Amino acid sequence: MDFALDADQRQWLQEVRAFLREHVTPALVAELAEHDLEKRDGELAAFRRKIGEKGWFGLNWPTEYGGLGLGPIHQHLLVSEFERWGVPGPDLTVTSVAPMIMRHGTEQNKAEFLPPIARGEMVCAVGYSEPDAGTDLASLRTRAVLDGDEWVINGSKIWNSGAQRCTHEWLCVRTNPDVPKHKGISVIIVPIDAPGVSIRPLEAWSGYRTNETFFDDVRVPATNLIGEVDRGWRYITGALDLERGALTNAGDLRRAVDDLWALAREPRRDGAVPATDPGVRRRLAELDADVEVATLMGFEAASLLADGTIPSVEVSTEKVFTSELRQRIAETALDLLGPDGLLGHNTAAAPLHGAFERLYRAAPLLRFGAGTNEVLRDVIAQRGHRMPSYGR
Amino acid sequence: MKLVATEEERDLAAAMRDLFATHCPTTLVRALREPGGERFPQKLWEALVRAEVLALPFAADVGGSDGTLDDLAVVYAEAGRALCPSVVLNTIHLGLAIDALAAPDRRAARLPSLIRGDLRGTVAVASPYDATDVRPRLRAERTADGLRVTGRLDYVGDADLADAVLTTAAVETYGEPDEVLALLVDPAAPGVQLTPLPTSADDRWHEIVLDGVLVADDAVLGAVGEEELRRVALTVRALQCVDMAAGAETVIARTVAHTCSREQFGRPIGSFQAAQHLVADMHIATQAARLAARSAVFWLGRGRPGVRETAIAVLKAATAYRRVTADAHQLHGGMGYVLETDLHLWSERARRLGVEGGGVDVAAGWLA
Ligand SMILES: Cc1cc2nc3c(=O)[nH]c(=O)nc-3n(C[C@H](O)[C@H](O)[C@H](O)COP(=O)(O)OP(=O)(O)OC[C@H]3O[C@@H](n4cnc5c(N)ncnc54)[C@H](O)[C@@H]3O)c2cc1C
Repeated sequence: MDFALDADQRQWLQEVRAFLREHVTPALVAELAEHDLEKRDGELAAFRRKIGEKGWFGLNWPTEYGGLGLGPIHQHLLVSEFERWGVPGPDLTVTSVAPMIMRHGTEQNKAEFLPPIARGEMVCAVGYSEPDAGTDLASLRTRAVLDGDEWVINGSKIWNSGAQRCTHEWLCVRTNPDVPKHKGISVIIVPIDAPGVSIRPLEAWSGYRTNETFFDDVRVPATNLIGEVDRGWRYITGALDLERGALTNAGDLRRAVDDLWALAREPRRDGAVPATDPGVRRRLAELDADVEVATLMGFEAASLLADGTIPSVEVSTEKVFTSELRQRIAETALDLLGPDGLLGHNTAAAPLHGAFERLYRAAPLLRFGAGTNEVLRDVIAQRGHRMPSYGR
Repeated sequence: MKLVATEEERDLAAAMRDLFATHCPTTLVRALREPGGERFPQKLWEALVRAEVLALPFAADVGGSDGTLDDLAVVYAEAGRALCPSVVLNTIHLGLAIDALAAPDRRAARLPSLIRGDLRGTVAVASPYDATDVRPRLRAERTADGLRVTGRLDYVGDADLADAVLTTAAVETYGEPDEVLALLVDPAAPGVQLTPLPTSADDRWHEIVLDGVLVADDAVLGAVGEEELRRVALTVRALQCVDMAAGAETVIARTVAHTCSREQFGRPIGSFQAAQHLVADMHIATQAARLAARSAVFWLGRGRPGVRETAIAVLKAATAYRRVTADAHQLHGGMGYVLETDLHLWSERARRLGVEGGGVDVAAGWLA
């Protein structure tokens, strides 16, 4: 086991940091604070173009698909660094959809979809969840029926994040209702502007916008089906493993704990300096240790990925650990700041522009999203330790 | 950066696992604890010497096999799984301390015999309560042919089996600052009094009281600084964390095996989600411990002071091992509570290694 970055990896990190120093401008930070990811044609769009020019949307893909041919460790370093700076980098289209197209797609799928993803021009909303298919995702009902050389799609997706600003859906559909539920699922790429697609906004507690998206006799070419028909369950479980790995990156947590240490050493409004309290220091020390561990878990998963396996048990472990850690960080911040911790970003008096107030509301999502921690604990026990399935 | 075991590491682990399976069954571990029984694992010792385990982390000039601290961590993991008796690991600690602290001629004089299995012993350079506290416990005066040493050492492991205890003493020289010397104390020397401090698990800790004990010149290893002493103590602590993480993995495996064979309500108890979620939490805690421990050993082996890395390792490993053994007892029910199933042997080790040299409260203090 080698815990040190090699010369090439250090150089890469320098390059990523130099890029962020240059392009994370006060204007971009202000726009993100005001509009989150929602502003079109603003600073964020320009920032994304810069990332695209670097080729970083396809950094770990083979060059034949428009990628840079770098490895998962490079991707992990980049995503961590972006997280640490608090700016959006390569999203799930890049880190989870594209690798599955590469692994399982037809030659036409690859030729058609990978180059625009690498250029940052094709961005997918991930359409898995439905009103009646949450944790039990395989019971999804959105139906696709082949009519000549077109798929005709009917149904709806909920929690369809990013639909309002993406170009396509990575849509999970039922193509065969007459076989066991895991065996009749396929994945189809649907342009978001196809006739019959409509989007209803849903606002979450964190302020994050997600959607319910409806598909009403939506027609797409038969060749938009990824890989083979009825084999989609394998593709999405693979994609979900990658999603967990990417989403549970601890870059933002490193920054949060560093910020929290700094805040604890400053006087609060009441003049008290929290870090003088041994109990506070003890809690911060434990969080600090756990962020280091989460970072190591991320590197371990990336290392295994580099060796060609999709490390489901490792990413499940990492996901449960980091998502619960995130919640503990938010709770510690609240206890440490007291009422100051409730002030939001619209109040000048809010510590760190309300970052920890926001974190408290953001933290629950990753605990149940991308595979709930309950199901992932099942995965760890059943796949990691071969304990018997109870028929979930 | 690559956090997967190399092929050499996997081969070494497999070889060690075989060796311990053959020579360190739990029957041996239990026999060594019997009151009045044989305390020294002769056959295991011979096998380890033959397999050059005692030579592993040392350079070829003293007869070592030029391995790394990372290699030693691989050995420690297997030792932890198999509950390897402490006299073996304490002797390796002695070797590491001599290697790091002794003047070249003393190092050359002592390490070859340790590597051959002819010198056994232990290290007492830090507080048993806090590995970063390396203030000397003994005072010494210079004599014509060595030192005259006085003071008390606490919780010295296997002192009754040791040929040498490596410790430090402060030497006062009039008009000059105190000098700290590393030295080897022979527990059988005149003026040394050993008092056992046995735990309920029959770990043989001792209090050693020295009253004007003569330490010959060739047992005085040289002047040492705080920094290097602390690195030795933390290296020992980090290796113990590897031991703890691997021990916890073994306990999980035993627990899973039990829950998958024991049936209640007509199905294996391991098929209940409550049981699976306990196992998942044991797994998560243990993986955290494993990564933190290996990282600490890695960075100590590359010259970092290692305080931060070892603190993290202790926080994760001590917590994980205790929690895993406690939950293992829960999942075993009565069958894990009776002595014949051996589970308590791991629980005892978790308890001892969790605090020896500083537990979670102390380690958190190293970080804050
Ligand atoms: C803001 C936001 C954004 C999202 N973005 C997307 C997205 O882009 N694309 C997408 O497809 N989905 C998205 N999701 C959906 C998310 O992945 C789901 O919320 C999640 O999978 C859980 O499903 P559910 O909400 O239906 O909860 P439920 O399935 O109803 O589960 C509720 C609780 O019951 C527990 N539970 C259920 N079954 C079991 C069991 N067998 N054993 C033990 N406990 C069980 C769960 O663990 C959970 O704690 C998003 C959700 C939100 C809120």
